[in-house]
Amino acid sequence: MANKLRERTVISGVGCSRFGDLLETPELKGLSIQELTAGAVKEALDDAGLTGQDVDAVFAGNAMVHSSQVPGTYSQLSKWTGTQFKAGVHFEAQCSTTNVGAALAAMSVAAGVYDTVLVYGLETTRTMVKGYSPYEREPISHQQTWLWTDMAVNQAYGVPQGYDIFSTYNGLVALGYCRKYGMSIEDFDRGMFELCRTRRLHGSMNRKANIQEKLEDRAAREGFSDAFDYWRSDKHNPFVAWPSRLLSLVTTADGASAMVITRADLAKGGKSQPVELKGFGISYSDLPWYGEDPTFWEFDKRAIDAAFDMAGIRASDIDYLHTHDCSHISGICTAETIGYLEPGKGLAAAREGRLRFDGDRPMSTHGGRHAFGHAWGASAGTDTYEAVLQMRGQAGARQIAKRPEISVIHTHGYAMIGTVVVLGSI
Amino acid sequence: MQTVAEQPSAIRRYYEGLAEGVFRAIRCQACGKHTFPPTGCCEHCGSWKVEPVELSGEGTLLFATHNIFPACHPRFEKIAPYVYGHIRLKEGPIVQAIVLGVQATPADLGRLFERGPVPVTAEALPMDDLPVLAFRIHD
Repeated sequence: MANKLRERTVISGVGCSRFGDLLETPELKGLSIQELTAGAVKEALDDAGLTGQDVDAVFAGNAMVHSSQVPGTYSQLSKWTGTQFKAGVHFEAQCSTTNVGAALAAMSVAAGVYDTVLVYGLETTRTMVKGYSPYEREPISHQQTWLWTDMAVNQAYGVPQGYDIFSTYNGLVALGYCRKYGMSIEDFDRGMFELCRTRRLHGSMNRKANIQEKLEDRAAREGFSDAFDYWRSDKHNPFVAWPSRLLSLVTTADGASAMVITRADLAKGGKSQPVELKGFGISYSDLPWYGEDPTFWEFDKRAIDAAFDMAGIRASDIDYLHTHDCSHISGICTAETIGYLEPGKGLAAAREGRLRFDGDRPMSTHGGRHAFGHAWGASAGTDTYEAVLQMRGQAGARQIAKRPEISVIHTHGYAMIGTVVVLGSI
Repeated sequence: MQTVAEQPSAIRRYYEGLAEGVFRAIRCQACGKHTFPPTGCCEHCGSWKVEPVELSGEGTLLFATHNIFPACHPRFEKIAPYVYGHIRLKEGPIVQAIVLGVQATPADLGRLFERGPVPVTAEALPMDDLPVLAFRIHD
C-alpha cells in the first residue's frame, strides 16, 4: 500500500451550524433540516470564496436516516446548496462521517478526478420528523435515539444480547484504566470532573456549542458552592456505568458541518487561508473493540500509524489534538495511544489544566462531544472546523496562544471505525 | 405447492444452541483460532476454512460495570440495571456479556473490582423472546 496522496490537497473552506435542538435552541429553533444544512454549506462555500456551482462533486453524509428522513441527500439538498448537476453520493461512516468524507475527497482530488469537492454532514439526534410533516419536528426519546444509533452496532450478537454503549465505551474502559495504572476510583472520579470542567469551559467560550455553561456555574445554579459536590451528586450526575458518570458522556444534538477540499495550487490567493490535509488513516473493527486491555484499541493504533505515515509526522509534532470523546475516558486513552499524553497521566494532565486552550497540551477546544454536542454524522466536521479556526488564529477567546501548525483529529464512527486526519499549516 | 428448504443460518443455530446451553463457535483450520459468536469465516486471518465447535463456557471475568437505566433496548427493560462484563474465555476469545451473581451497585461492583479477575461460567438467560448469553460468577 503506497499510503500517499499524489497531489497536495487542502481544506479551503469550513462551515458549521450551532449544535443544539431544532425545537428549542436559539439560532436553531424552527429551522428545517434542509435550512440547517444549507447554513453550514453556505458558510464553507463563502469561506472558500466559491458557490455550489464551482465544485465538481458533493459527498453528502448522514448516518441516522430514521430521524432525518433525507436519504438521497445529495439530491434532496441540491437546490438548497446550489449544487445541482454535480457528481454526488450519500455516504456514512457514523460519527466519523465528515472526516471519512474529507479523506475520500482528498483521494479523489489527489487522483486527479476532481479539482474541488464539497463534503457536508447533517444529523438530528434530538428531533425527528413529526408524522408526515415537511417542516414540523418532535423530540426523540432516549430509548429511540439509542435503538436507532445502535443499529450501527453488531445486530447479530451484540445488541440482542445486552450490549450497552455506556458499559462498553465508559465503565469497562474506566476500570481497565484504573487497574492498569493503579489509580483509585476516587482519583479517577476527580480526574473526570476536571476533564469535564475543561470541556465545559471550552463550550462556554464557543457560541456554536450545545452547552455554553461552565460546570461551576451549573453547580451554583443548582445550589452547590463546591462544584465537585455537584459532580458527586447522584441526583445531578448519576453513575451510568460505574465508575463513569453522566457528565463524562456525549450530549446529543442536531447539527450540520461542511468543508471544501481542493488542490493546493487552486487555493492559492483564495478568500481564506487554506490548511493542508496532510494525511489520514482509517481502520475498522467489530465488537469487542479491545482485547484484555480496555485502554488499547488496535484499530485506532492502525489508523494513527497510517495517518502519521502518510503525513510524515510524529506525535511530538502535534500542536493541537482532538480525540473522539463520546466517552471522556476513551478519549484520554486514545490521546495516550497517539503519544500526545503520557500513558497513565492523561487525567493528571486534566487536573493540572494542561488540556485547556491555554495549557501546553490543548485538546478539544470547541468543547468536545459533551459541551459542543454530538450530531453523529456532522460532528467530525466540527472537529475539523475547530482545528482550522485554531490554525488560522480565528478561534477568538479560546485561541491557542501559539497557532497550531500540526493538528490531529481522531474520531470514532460507530461501531467502530477509527479515523485520524492530520492537518498542517501552509 | 413446492416446499422451499430453509437455508442454514449461523445466527439462528447459535441462539438455538444457546437455548440448550450449547455455546457454538467456529475454529479456523488455517490459524487454529476461534471466532465467537460464530460467523462464516475466521475473524483473525480471514480464512473461509472453518469448522463448527462448541466452547466450554468457562472463562475469567476481567472487569464488570453496569448498563444505563432505563435500558437502551426494550428487551432488557425488565432487568435493568444489569451487570455487564468483559470476559476472557478459556479457549481464548474475549466476549462482553451480562454477568450474574453480583448486584449492579457501586459498592458491590467496587468489591468485585478489588478482588480482581474471577472465574465465571456461561449460561443462557431466558428473556421473553430470545435466550441471552450470560456469565455467572463462581461462589
